[in-house]
Parts: sequence; C-alpha cells; structure tokens
Amino acid sequence: MKSIVTALAAVLTLTVTATDPVGAQEGADRNRSAAPSARDISGFWELSIDGSNVPAAVLTPGITKAVLDEQAKKDAHAIRWCNILGLQHAMGSPRPIDIRQGARMIVIATEVNAATRYLYLDRRTHINREEFDPTTNGDSIARWEGNVLVVDTVGFDGNKGMTAIPGGGFRTADSHLVERYRLLNNGSILAVTFTWEDPKVFRTPHTYEFRYHRLPQSYEPRPPLACDPFDQERTRFLTTPPQIPR
Amino acid sequence: MRKLAAALLPVAAILAGADPLAAQTAAPHDISGYWELPVDGRFVPRARLSPRITPAMIEAEARKTTKAIRWCNWVGMPTTMDVGRPLNIRQGAREIVIMAESPVAPVRHLYLNRKTHIDKDTFDPTTSGDSIAHWEGDTLVVDTTGFEPTKGITEIPGGGFRTASAHLVERYRLLRNGTVLSVKFTWTDPSVFQTPHSYEFRYQRVEKGYEPWPYQLCDPFDQERAAFLEQRQ
Amino acid sequence: MPAGKKYDRYNSMLVVPVRMHHRFRALMWRHVMNARRVVVAAALLLATFIGSGGTAAGQQPEPPRVPDLSGGWLRLDSGSGSFDGTVAKHPPAELTAAGRSMVVPGDGRNLIPQGGFTGPAKQAGEAYIVNSGACTPEGTGGSAINPNSTAIFLLQSKDEVLMVREGPGGRRFYMDGRAHPDLAKLPPSMYGHSTGRYEGNALIVETVGLTEGNVQGGGKRRPETRLTERFELGSGGKRLTITYTWDDPVLYVRPHIYEYVFERLPEDSYAFETWCDASDPLQRQSIVPPKQQ
Repeated sequence: MKSIVTALAAVLTLTVTATDPVGAQEGADRNRSAAPSARDISGFWELSIDGSNVPAAVLTPGITKAVLDEQAKKDAHAIRWCNILGLQHAMGSPRPIDIRQGARMIVIATEVNAATRYLYLDRRTHINREEFDPTTNGDSIARWEGNVLVVDTVGFDGNKGMTAIPGGGFRTADSHLVERYRLLNNGSILAVTFTWEDPKVFRTPHTYEFRYHRLPQSYEPRPPLACDPFDQERTRFLTTPPQIPR
Repeated sequence: MRKLAAALLPVAAILAGADPLAAQTAAPHDISGYWELPVDGRFVPRARLSPRITPAMIEAEARKTTKAIRWCNWVGMPTTMDVGRPLNIRQGAREIVIMAESPVAPVRHLYLNRKTHIDKDTFDPTTSGDSIAHWEGDTLVVDTTGFEPTKGITEIPGGGFRTASAHLVERYRLLRNGTVLSVKFTWTDPSVFQTPHSYEFRYQRVEKGYEPWPYQLCDPFDQERAAFLEQRQ
Repeated sequence: MPAGKKYDRYNSMLVVPVRMHHRFRALMWRHVMNARRVVVAAALLLATFIGSGGTAAGQQPEPPRVPDLSGGWLRLDSGSGSFDGTVAKHPPAELTAAGRSMVVPGDGRNLIPQGGFTGPAKQAGEAYIVNSGACTPEGTGGSAINPNSTAIFLLQSKDEVLMVREGPGGRRFYMDGRAHPDLAKLPPSMYGHSTGRYEGNALIVETVGLTEGNVQGGGKRRPETRLTERFELGSGGKRLTITYTWDDPVLYVRPHIYEYVFERLPEDSYAFETWCDASDPLQRQSIVPPKQQ
C-alpha cells in the first residue's frame, strides 16, 4: 500500500512539474526575489575590459601556423557571410548576455549573431552522436554541484561559425567543453571558467575564466546590429586591405 | 557708402557666427552620434614590425597591458576606440570629442582650431596624445603625436605598440547615408614598424533613442578582482 | 562703352553730349554698385536678424539664443584661498529631519587611513598619506557634478551637450526634449540622467537619478533629488556661472542653492590628462601647501 501511495505521489509530482513550468519558474523566481540565490544565475551579464583571465593555450605540435591560418580563413568566411557564430563568440561578445533559469533548462540569449544556448537541466547524458546534428553551440547538459553550475558540452560543428577559442586553438567536432558557473560578491558577479579538451588541438586542457558584472533588472536588451552578406561595400572592406592615401 | 557697406558685412558674419550650433548645422559633414563596432567591423592586417622588435619587447608591452588593467589605469589609444561599448562622438566648432563608455578610457579631444601640435617642450605626453583635425573634402583627418609610452595599454591591433615617437593619422568618413563610420588608422614609427601599419574599423550608428547604461566602476583594491587578474592558470 | 539697349536704357531720358554722357554713366555705375553693396549687406543683416529670431515686434516669440558655452573652463576661487573656503561662503543647506538623519554610505575607497590627520602638524612641503589612492572621480579629476581644480570642457551639439573632464567619462545633457525615464527603472549613477534646454541666454540642465551622496554646503542627495544647473555667460563670454539648485522636499526645507564661477580657457588651450595610478604609492599622498602670499 505504501509503495502504491509513494508511486502515486511521484506520478502526481512529475505531472504537476511537467505541466506547470510557470510554477517551477516561480520557484526559481522566489529564490531570486529573496536575496540573490546562489543557485540562480538569471540576469543580464556584461563582460568588461577587466573581466577575463586568458592564458595562452598549449597547442599540439600538429597545430601549425598553416593550420591556424586555415582556421582563421573559415572564421573570416563566417563573419563575411553573417553566419551565426556560436561558441566561443557568444560568451565573449561585448554586448550583455541574458541568462534565464528555469526548472528544465537554462537559456542564454545574446544580442549578437549567435544562436541561443540551451543548457538542459533535465538530462544527464548527451544526445546520441548518431542522432545529433552538430551545431555551433553544441549539446549542453547541466547540473548543480553545490553552488556551482557545471555545464558539459559536446557535439560542436568544427566548420561553422567562429571557431577560434580565446588564448589559442579552435573548436572541432571532437571538442569537449566544461563550464563552471558560480556567483560571487553577493550575486553581482558571475564567474565562468571554460575548460576545452581536444587532443587534436590542445596538448593539455585549456582553461580560462570570464567574470561578468550583473546589470540592473531594468536593463532592456538592444537590437542586434545589421549584417548584410550581400552588401558589396562591406564585402570589399572585409576582404581588401584598407587603401590609405599617402 | 563703401565704408558703410564694408562695415556691415563683417557684422552680419559675426552675428551668424555667434551661435555655436550654427557651425555644426552648417558643417557639411557631421560625425556626431553613438557608434558601435560590430564583430564584422574590423579589418586588421598583421603589422610589419622592425627587426629590432624582439619577443622580449613584445612581452614587456603585454605586461604593461596586464598592469594597466589590474590597476584600472586609463587605457588610452588605441584601446579607447575599441572598448566594447559604443563611442559617443560630438562635433563642435572648435573640437570634436570622443567619449567611450568606460571608466578607464580617457576622453579624446580632436582640435579643429589648431593646425600645429603643441610644442614638444610644453606638452606632457598622454595616453591619448595631442590630436589636431581638419576636413579634406568629406574626410576628417586627425593627426596625433605626443603619446606617453609607459602608461595604459600600448598594444596596437595587428601588432606593435605605441611609443613616444609614434605618429597616428586617422581618417574618418561617413558611409551608407551616414549609418556607417569608417575610421582608417595609420601608425608610423620607425622604431616599431618597418612600414606604416594601417587598419580600418567600421562602426555602425546605434539605434535612435539609445542612452548609455551606467558602467561598472573599476576598483583596483578589490582583492577578489586582483586575485582573479593576477592568477596564473 | 558698348552701344546697345543697356546704354540706351541708361541714357534714354538724358540729352547730353556723348562725352559727358560717358562720365555720367560711369558715375551712375559707381553709385549703383555702392548701393548694391549696401543692399546686399543690409539683406544679410536682415536675414541674420530674422534667422536669429528677431522679427517685427509681437509676431513670434523669440527663440532662445544659444550661448557659446563650448570650450574649456577653469573653476575660480572666489577669494577664499582654498576650496573649503569657497564652500564656506555658500549658504548652508537647510535640511529636514529626514535629510539630517540620512546616512550617506561611503564607497569605502577614499578612506583616510588609520592615524591619518593625527600627530604633529606637517611642515610646508611635507608629504603625508591622505587617502587610499583609489582613482575615483572625486579623488582625482573631479566630478562633473562638483568640479574641482581640473578643467571641464563643454561641447554643444544639436542633440547633446557634453560636459567632460580631464579623464574618463563625463555627462550628457540630452537636448532633444526627451523626458527622464521612470526612476523606478533607472539605476542610480554618478551622473544620473540629464536633460537640457536653452532659456533666454542660459542653458538649463535638470538631473535626476544620482546616487546617494553628500552635496556642497552640508546638503544631501538621493536618486529622487532634482538638480537644476543654470549655465550663464558673463564678462563678454569669458566667465561662466553655474548656479546649482538642489530640490527635494523630503531632504530640504527649501531648495539649496549656490554657484560656481569659471573662467574660459584661452582659445589655444587643450585638455590635460589627469593621470592616476592606484599602484603608485605617491597617489596616496598629499603635501602641505606653501604659505599663501
């Protein structure tokens, strides 16, 4: 009897949670409206000039200057054609990022030309590689370890978007990124460490940290800047060295 | 009669010139506005450095950058032109002011009312230098010397760094019906560059009604921040 | 002189010998040209007059003249020998009970170190530690709300007037008629939100949204406090008076008013850079000034 009641209670809870995302969000909101919860990273976050500590990456011997130049050309192509840029650009752009935390996922929206990131809290494993079409942001699953949000991402597309990684190197289809998010200074600072592993690119895992400042709740995101891939003048600018009259 | 006519004409000119906005309204080109540098707004070729520039010298300049950021020093040129947030450019009759939205980027003054630089014996070098400007047709040409070599962020996009002998010429031009501001930078400094190093930024005019958001002040005595910036991975 | 219709028109009413006719024509031409110059000049003057708003009396309200405030300005000591002395001449603020009891939290950066200002008096020229050396606007280049001895620079453009100092940052006065944003949504800041207009020969700037703080003459401020600044030229444009009016019925019994006077910098002046390096121990020091003559 007890087991039936327990099972029924579990089913009921799951049903309520699944059909009441607002309730779940309000739970998170309640956490936010009381002093900033250490486990709620929702907010607008801005990266300023003193917000990064990026050491030089230790690259494998196979990553020669020619390889890096080739990768840089791919990145230039992505910019030239206004492609969505993906990681790492999304997290390092000068415009604020908008993080919204729900019960099932955390969404990171940007004001630049990068797809929204989804960090799934309701999954412990990645989508099967056979099924998942790699993307510029990859497939991200997240969990809390104490007051640290650990985000694990694979499934990157090595040929799309801006692949360059701060400090050196670039993302490939085999890249594995682990991020650790934690709030500092009473919730006014969001510290994120990024650790990239990719034996084809990095000799040792490459780690760097960004620290974002929280913007006021009343901040309103701005529209992204225009990007027209068919603008001939723009194309000329991006592909031809500047002509300077002597 | 002739004397009366001769007297009246300058009076009319003076009356017209007394309005400080008249000069701006009358100016054929006005780069005033908020300007943002997008991800596709930079064309920066690699600089050709002088053979005398060693890795150790480059490393020394990088350490200046680290120190400037750690201690919230004013960053100066060229970083003022690319701090992340939009630039506020205001054009007057005597000068053009460029204000970056940053607690560490000093305001730039581009003087339209001077044709020569301040005498080197008089001018205390600064991170922004001494800038004089004039219009050549639709192009604003800004000439800057008098840089302070030890303060702020000295590194230049594409390679190299500013020194006391650096000479910067910028050319500002409005494109696409005034929605894009092209700025071409040319650094000349035989102690650093084999040939003058040029690159171009293209800023987009920010949307109408934009108001800068207050920025975070920089606290050099924040121990947590200091530890973050000084740590080695 | 060529023959033809013009010639005929000029002399059609005259019956004179040809030689005298030529002379007369030359004389007439000179008079006509002089008259033309006068007419052109008068027309220019009239256009300027109309353009500046002066028309026949009573037809239109005269639009405000835009005073030429652009340029560099240096605050003058109004005869007291020190900034404290200058402030001592301001009428003191009359605060309400709420104003008197308002506690202004410091930012913790410009603290006097323990033991500062104690001990035997310093000698002229002797350096001593006076603060933590933080490069705050108040600590170095001076706030553009309360200018100190470094110059301020005003630049008037159509949509904005900028007020900048000899360091980073500055104030923007929006001149396009926009209203202040809802204070509930506006985060308080060092310079708040300012809108401006020209009235008569003055620039009037209204600011709200300032962070909590102290005000010269014993005043206080909070984001709801309204600061009105009146910028007026004098002495043939060589002097600028800024009259500050702090208005907040919660904090003040009556508006708190005082003024600063500035001298225009010479035309060929340029902005210095108020360098500040918090890592430099000298940044923390001040020095006893020599005896004033």
